[in-house]
Amino acid sequence: MLLEPQLRARLERLALANRTRLRGVWGGRHRSTRLGESLDFADYREYNPGDDYRRIDYNLWARLGVVLIRLFEAEDEMPLQIVIDNSRSMDFGDKFPAAQQLTAMVTYMALISGERIRLATVPEPGSSGLVGPWARHVSAWPKMETWLEDLDPDGGTDLVAASRIVASTVSRGPIVLVSDLLQPGWQQAIDLFGTARGGVVLHVLSPAELDPDLTGDLTLRDIETRSEVPVSMSGDAVERYKARVQGFAGEASRRCRRVGLDYVLATADTEVLDRTLRQLVAGGTVR
Amino acid sequence: MSFLAPGALGLMALSIPLIVLYMLRSRRQRFEVPSVLLWSGEEQFVSAALPWQRLKITGVLLLQLLTLIGFAVLLGRPFFREQTLLGPHTVLIVDSSGSMATAGRLDDALGQARSLASDASEAQLISVVEAGAQSRVLVAFSREPDDVLAAIDSIAPGGTTEDLAGALRLARGLATPDRPTTLLILSDGGIAGAIEEPVANAQHVLFDSRGDNLAITGFGTGVPGEGATRLFLEVTNFSVGPESVTARLLVDGLEVGSEAFDLDAGERSQRIVAVDAGAGQAVSAVLGGQNDANPLDDSASLVLSAGTDLTVTITGDGSPFLGALVESVPGLRPAAGAPPDVLIVDGGDAGIVDRPAWIIAPETPPPGITVVGRLESPIVSYQRPGEPILDGLDLSELAIAEADIVDALGWLPIVRAGEIPLVLMGEVAGHRALYFTFDIVRSNLPVQVTFPILGARILDWLGGNRVAATSTAPAGTAIGLTPPAGGTSLVTVPSGQQMTLSAEATTFTGTASPGVYRVDYLDQDGAAAGSAVAARQFVATESTGDARQISTTLDDTATEAEGTLLREWAPLILAILLGVVLIEWWVAFGRPLPRGRRRAEVAS
Repeated sequence: MLLEPQLRARLERLALANRTRLRGVWGGRHRSTRLGESLDFADYREYNPGDDYRRIDYNLWARLGVVLIRLFEAEDEMPLQIVIDNSRSMDFGDKFPAAQQLTAMVTYMALISGERIRLATVPEPGSSGLVGPWARHVSAWPKMETWLEDLDPDGGTDLVAASRIVASTVSRGPIVLVSDLLQPGWQQAIDLFGTARGGVVLHVLSPAELDPDLTGDLTLRDIETRSEVPVSMSGDAVERYKARVQGFAGEASRRCRRVGLDYVLATADTEVLDRTLRQLVAGGTVR
Repeated sequence: MSFLAPGALGLMALSIPLIVLYMLRSRRQRFEVPSVLLWSGEEQFVSAALPWQRLKITGVLLLQLLTLIGFAVLLGRPFFREQTLLGPHTVLIVDSSGSMATAGRLDDALGQARSLASDASEAQLISVVEAGAQSRVLVAFSREPDDVLAAIDSIAPGGTTEDLAGALRLARGLATPDRPTTLLILSDGGIAGAIEEPVANAQHVLFDSRGDNLAITGFGTGVPGEGATRLFLEVTNFSVGPESVTARLLVDGLEVGSEAFDLDAGERSQRIVAVDAGAGQAVSAVLGGQNDANPLDDSASLVLSAGTDLTVTITGDGSPFLGALVESVPGLRPAAGAPPDVLIVDGGDAGIVDRPAWIIAPETPPPGITVVGRLESPIVSYQRPGEPILDGLDLSELAIAEADIVDALGWLPIVRAGEIPLVLMGEVAGHRALYFTFDIVRSNLPVQVTFPILGARILDWLGGNRVAATSTAPAGTAIGLTPPAGGTSLVTVPSGQQMTLSAEATTFTGTASPGVYRVDYLDQDGAAAGSAVAARQFVATESTGDARQISTTLDDTATEAEGTLLREWAPLILAILLGVVLIEWWVAFGRPLPRGRRRAEVAS
């Protein structure tokens, strides 16, 4: 079970916020980029044959002698795409369990709100599409939870490909990316994710990555690429590394804001869910 | 610097493998991290082809070399030679006389004794002898520093004159035949007049610190006068400048009056003071309002006793001063034709003395004394220290027209002009006798303030100490005890401490401290069976603070080797090593330990 019942009850009172107009396939609760059948007045236009005569504004016709029909806002669903990074770099400390829980938290909130969501993992290099289930109702939560629980951190590593696929999706909605961003080209991936209609990047890092507890002469091996770096782990070296980590997180945050995405740095510890949820509420991503 | 184990220095050769270890390519431990992206820039690549690398002289290497050398030197046990006063067997003679209380002399002496005791090796024996009123051996032939230190700590300053001659006799009695014995005299030299010859195989460590000192140098009764008891009080300023002081007078601890003194440097002032005190009461004088070098001589006490009337007859010329003396001293009265208790022979025939007598320049000297000449204008140069008759009296201003030169074998001179006796104590026909070699009317003695006191004390002594109105003696004088059969004596010393003595104890000798001693007698059932009070006074001659070097000699057995101490550098080197290790740790890790870094634990 990825989410405790108490947390689910709390999430049922929250919903993902949307700051832009959407273009969904199905009707929903969010303002659409097209006109439609809602009660919110949008505009007038001249009557054309075939228009619904129930929309003719007779008062204006009598007063101005022009036949105009009333146009109304449309309300669409929010097609939400959630991409979880299950590359090997996430298999460090509690990073991947934290990413699973964060993904489950966003998924459950969206399902409760009646959004149409899609869960997907980062594809392998050369893939042409994202792999993952769709769902539109909370009744699909067990299926989504099982899918998340069955994920292993041995998946693809092409974050840029994932972003391109998301950017090319016809039904554009917000994007939620749960990743450590520890892949070359992460900057380009964020720029492409920014072509979606808003969203949030949950940047998951382990406490041991933020403040490594290493000493002595070591050879560091990359879990994903198996490349190695010989390092003499002195106090100064650790301090320089910590400065680079802070710079990395700061650059990711700035780049996300520039392309219209929210950014939350999620430290993978026991408090990650509660702390991240509070940061999302404080940032207006969730209300 | 020399080494006790120089072979250990060979451990310095370990520095070679240490340097070799630094030249070997290190085998790094491998750890997995999520990504090496963020570690770019920290790479320190080494050649994998060669097992060796170029030696880099780092701070850690230098500190490790320094630590290694330090340990090698430490194991080599470096030492230096230090001169010491200790020999194979050293007898420490510690002077605890009243003068050693001046300006912390005794504290310094005890400190040096403790230092020597701590420095002694297991092969060195130490004995400790206290030179006080009664010299005594505190510890003998000890190899245990704790025992020696305990003996040293038991020494406290007294108000007495040191018995240095007796202490030297005791110390020589401790000489060991199998090893040279060195006497180490820790003393100010004081008034050790009995030590005329150089002390053989001894060294004298002189303690001569000085300070401003005001002292009560005379305190007694027996002075004629009207009304209550008349006290004689003399205060002397031994400071280098003028001093003012107030002497408080106390009767049984209650203040009954005071006397103010303004004294120039070296000045002595004498007062006659009347106080309302009677028999059995303790009278004290205490100097206050000043903080001088010797606190022991700032107070004096005496106990008034009832006394018994003595009859006195004056024969010979019969100086009017003597008649006035007899009539004015309480407890004395003329014999009026009856056989007297005490006889004063003033210039007459002393050959037929048949009772205690004060013989003053007689025409015919008593048996045992022969007049061999005359000396004009003798000057008093010696008063016997600790003599109760002279206690607190200064006869240095005594002017005498002429005195007989006598040959008095068996008589004890108590006042001398050079080697010529002026006043002698002895016996005539089994009776006490005091002999003046000069006529008092041809001297200024009768007009001296001290004359009534001196006369009263002489007659008191001749009368068997029955007349005197006071019960006092120099510190160190034993107190006679008369406990009831099977009972005990409870002695309360001036400090308030109480000691219980068994019925067999007939004297109490722990009277080195000046002050009032109270003795309570208890019978077999513990019930009170009488009491007595006695006073012991600071010996005034100890107040001068004079110090002098005692002449000593060392024989050939005291070689230079026996006078040196091997002191190791180990504590200093250990401290340096600890500091080096801490610096090395700091240099290696750059920050303190508290975070408790674990080595090589990256991911759970």
